[in-house]
Amino acid sequence: MTDSQTAVRIANMDKFYATFHALKSIDLEVAKGERIVICGPSGSGKSTLIRCINKLEDYQAGSINVLGTELDDNLDNIDEIRRETGMVFQHFNLFPHMTILENCTLAPMLVRKQPRVEAEAVAMEYLTKVRIPEQADKYPGQLSGGQQQRVAIARALCMKPEIMLFDEPTSALDPEMISEVLDVMVSLADEGMTMICVTHEMGFARQVADRVVFMADGEIVEQGAPEPFFNNPQQERTKAFLGQILGH
Amino acid sequence: MAKTYAKPGILEQLRADYFSNKLDAAMTLVFGTLVIWVVWNLLGWGIIHAVWTQENREMCGHGGDGACWAVIDARWRLILFGLYPFEEQWRSAIACIAIITVGILSCVPAFWHGKKLAALWITGFAIYYVLMRGGVFGLSEVSVQDWGGLSLTIFVFAAVTLLGMPTAIIFALLRRSDLPWISRTMGLIIDSIRSLPLLSIMFTFAVVLPFVLPSWLPTEKLYLVVIGYALFFACYQAEIIRGGMQALSAGQEEAAKALGMSYWQRISYIVLPQAFRNALPPTINQLVITFKETSLVVIIGFFEVLASGNAAYGNSDWNFAHIEVYSFVGLIYFIFVFSLSRYGAYLERRLAVATR
Repeated sequence: MTDSQTAVRIANMDKFYATFHALKSIDLEVAKGERIVICGPSGSGKSTLIRCINKLEDYQAGSINVLGTELDDNLDNIDEIRRETGMVFQHFNLFPHMTILENCTLAPMLVRKQPRVEAEAVAMEYLTKVRIPEQADKYPGQLSGGQQQRVAIARALCMKPEIMLFDEPTSALDPEMISEVLDVMVSLADEGMTMICVTHEMGFARQVADRVVFMADGEIVEQGAPEPFFNNPQQERTKAFLGQILGH
Repeated sequence: MAKTYAKPGILEQLRADYFSNKLDAAMTLVFGTLVIWVVWNLLGWGIIHAVWTQENREMCGHGGDGACWAVIDARWRLILFGLYPFEEQWRSAIACIAIITVGILSCVPAFWHGKKLAALWITGFAIYYVLMRGGVFGLSEVSVQDWGGLSLTIFVFAAVTLLGMPTAIIFALLRRSDLPWISRTMGLIIDSIRSLPLLSIMFTFAVVLPFVLPSWLPTEKLYLVVIGYALFFACYQAEIIRGGMQALSAGQEEAAKALGMSYWQRISYIVLPQAFRNALPPTINQLVITFKETSLVVIIGFFEVLASGNAAYGNSDWNFAHIEVYSFVGLIYFIFVFSLSRYGAYLERRLAVATR
């Protein structure tokens, strides 16, 4: 894989919380256009890993390179990487004091210096894409969880990122709202967006993932294409995990 | 057939609210009588039997059953303008109105932009200073020492709030810095200043500081006292703002970071608006306290509205009329404090849409 095709390269990365070794010698390479699903038991470090990619979490050893930019202590590099990576959170984290439209236009106007008219046009385009253009003038608190999460996806897309990070996007949703969010993610994957998703939605993983990464105890235990990963897992811990979440 | 809700009649409603059982009825009668008695006496004293004009002043104090508002008629200019030269008091009035107008305008959402607010307040204070101080445009010069009355109270309050609020924001941000030596030092400064009485801070700034400061710095007592008071205000307000910030979930800043927003963009568009919304009730509270405590500038010899009130009845003609003077000054305070509290309620309603 040449550099121009690599979206994210994590090499020999370690993360500590004080003395707790949260991530252990992580090596992970994600190609442009690739869809990665990261799964694993709770506390395995999968959210921490994805949060390291845009430096919401610091790491202590090794290196992370995103789209050719080294993620180090240089604030300019961090800003550069954050501009190019969108992130969707478990709890949506919409800005409650702004309308849906303002949520979507704020960063493009401040960070990308887009004129308001242009930013609003782009925002309406993406709100239409996630199928809630009619909610543009409402406030987040007036929307259901599923609608809020779709807005969060639109808000991230308005920055026209190269990579989208999803941190358990459906875990905080009522069951009947999960599919509306997954549908949006599937259509995004179909358009060739580079995606790294931490999720427990194994149906989604089977449908769109190019590669499934299984983590436990801060390590990548096993990874592979969905078909062999689900049908013929190699590691005992993977088998145990899959047995638990697919076993009924 | 569908049931419909029958609205209770007035008597039924009264009975339910005030006479629902024997104890309820008894309390209604006792407190109702008390309220009627107090209101009746106040009306009788303050309005029905009151003397309103100086022409009738000889009726004051005889019989003693009515308020002598003649004292206000005679001395209102002293109360509102203090020792400001009598012939020039129109300047003080316009200056005061200018500051109040600017204050009211900056409460209007249409003016909530940094540049507009800055322009507004610079204009307001420039008008105030030129009018009060004079010495230009053919206005005679008036020493700061002679500023007084309501104009002075409003000036001190506006200046303290305006200097204090940005300082408070900076203090609050330093207080929650990631670098422990910064946040701890700021915490120590805030705690030290909060542990001092306001009176001693004012005294120190006005009287002691001029001896210590290099001679090229301005040593006008009033300005020094305003700076000291602003510092005091900032320390309290910083903790109020910090409280408002702590109520924000960490996810808010993370979302802003993930969108590539810089520190100042996150602070000014995401953190502060929500922090101020959370901290609105204690902020209004702090403003009310600050407004009332402007009366402490009397200790360095300034006659703000309360001290001017003291002077207003402090001569042999009117020395029986202190209740009337204090009622009048109290009414002025009430108008300001009540407006502040109503404005706070308006803001809460306005912001409530975005809270749910």
